[in-house]
Amino acid sequence: MIEFEDVTKVYPGGNTALENVNLHIDKGEFVFVLGHSGAGKSTFLKLILREEKATSGRVLIDGKDLGRMKEREVPYLRRRMGVVFQDFRLIPTMTVYDNVAFAMRVTNIAEDKIRKRVPYVLGLVGLAQKSDRLPEELSGGEQQRVALARALVHSPQLIIADEPTGNIDPELSLEMMELLSAINSVGITVVVVTHEHELAYRFSKRIITIDHGAVVGDAVNKQGVKG
Amino acid sequence: MRGSSFRYLSKQGLHSLVANRLMTLASVGVLTACLILVGVATLFSANVDSLVEYLGEQNETVVYIGKDLSEEQIAQVDSQIRGISGLSAVTYVSKEEVLETYKGYMEEYAVLFDDFEEDNPFRANYRVVVEDLNQLDEIVAQLEAIEGVEDVSPPTELASVFLSIQRAVNVGGWVLVAVLSLVSIVVISNTIRITVFARRKEISIMKYVGATNAFIRWPFFVEGMSVGLIAALVSSGVVMGAYAIVLHYAGDLSGFWNSLLGVSLLPLSQVWYWLLGGFAAFGILIGSLGTATSIHKYLEV
Repeated sequence: MIEFEDVTKVYPGGNTALENVNLHIDKGEFVFVLGHSGAGKSTFLKLILREEKATSGRVLIDGKDLGRMKEREVPYLRRRMGVVFQDFRLIPTMTVYDNVAFAMRVTNIAEDKIRKRVPYVLGLVGLAQKSDRLPEELSGGEQQRVALARALVHSPQLIIADEPTGNIDPELSLEMMELLSAINSVGITVVVVTHEHELAYRFSKRIITIDHGAVVGDAVNKQGVKG
Repeated sequence: MRGSSFRYLSKQGLHSLVANRLMTLASVGVLTACLILVGVATLFSANVDSLVEYLGEQNETVVYIGKDLSEEQIAQVDSQIRGISGLSAVTYVSKEEVLETYKGYMEEYAVLFDDFEEDNPFRANYRVVVEDLNQLDEIVAQLEAIEGVEDVSPPTELASVFLSIQRAVNVGGWVLVAVLSLVSIVVISNTIRITVFARRKEISIMKYVGATNAFIRWPFFVEGMSVGLIAALVSSGVVMGAYAIVLHYAGDLSGFWNSLLGVSLLPLSQVWYWLLGGFAAFGILIGSLGTATSIHKYLEV
């Protein structure tokens, strides 16, 4: 599903964010991408989202080289993914329902489909009762789940979570991870980008460690207490 | 674009118009002022055109024909003159008619002209009116080339004065419209820039969930075009109202001014649809251009 072939990314200022990265993530996998701040995690994400292009090497999603992708094809690439951001990025003036529906509306989906799909997805993340609330009326964990519902609403094949536990309590972090695990169990690929070693190592999942722009570890953690 | 999405995005644009009402009001105000000036300049220019056209229609070129032409030759000259295109009127004046005209001018001394009845010194001539003064020189040349025509006396000076007035007003009008268009684009562009900046987070989310640029742009276009359209409606109302007042007072004028303005000022019934349609098209165009020049930066996510 995701393939990095000898990928190097150097920013215009000369800062090398990733260097000769090779990795492969299969469809249906659950992967942690672990690294300290400044290790190159954000660049890794930006390359997958085609927000940035690799300076050299190839980034492929489902066999499609993102470096050769035309600008007008990028929105369609992103519709196959769902992104959950650390800061949730909810629109404060919209209700929970509208924040989730927004992702469908701006991708040209008919309103009757939206009316069926949004309550279903909000039910999956346990927020069916709060669909008419504004984001500020929700706790951090709930806001995170709204962001997850928005990422899930257009049935993506890949969920990318960028520091999904960065802004919520530790007990809620585990809850969030379990939710992501459940999503993965139905065949959706999940990539969690985090700097929290402890959290990642609690799960028996594949952990790719990035440091100073290079992949320094890539193995399945067999010591995890959670599935 | 699907109907429901179109409605949703258009609603977003209109919502933003209300949410940023102070900025909307300021932009509509400045744009209205620009459009009023454009409207006044256009109306002025159109009226000068109409006036010049009216005065131009009064032009008369006198074509003198040879004194000793036979009736047959006169008939030939006649058909050749009438064959020239670009003439709005051709009138034959026989030398007897010229004599009568002069007698009429000096009624009290008409008796002095009696001797001329026997030996008429006047020449028969044609009075021709040129449709477009720009073609005057060309037509004069054609007239002079006709065999039997002795002399052509065109109103050259008058024509050149009219044409230069018309040209100056037209050029001035276009320059004004160009400058004000630029000012209007900058004003709208600034309004949209502020809205875009306020909604940059929303735009970045739209980009991440896979919205195309056309989708993201649409609400801003709706907003920009609405500002343009509101300003167009207000300004065309103001300009038409003011013009109606001018027409009313022009109707009260008497003597020379009445005969001049009365016939040449364009009536409201002839200009209102041009004003309204032109303003609306201009407002929407400026609104779109202003939007297009301000949103580009935030789409590069």
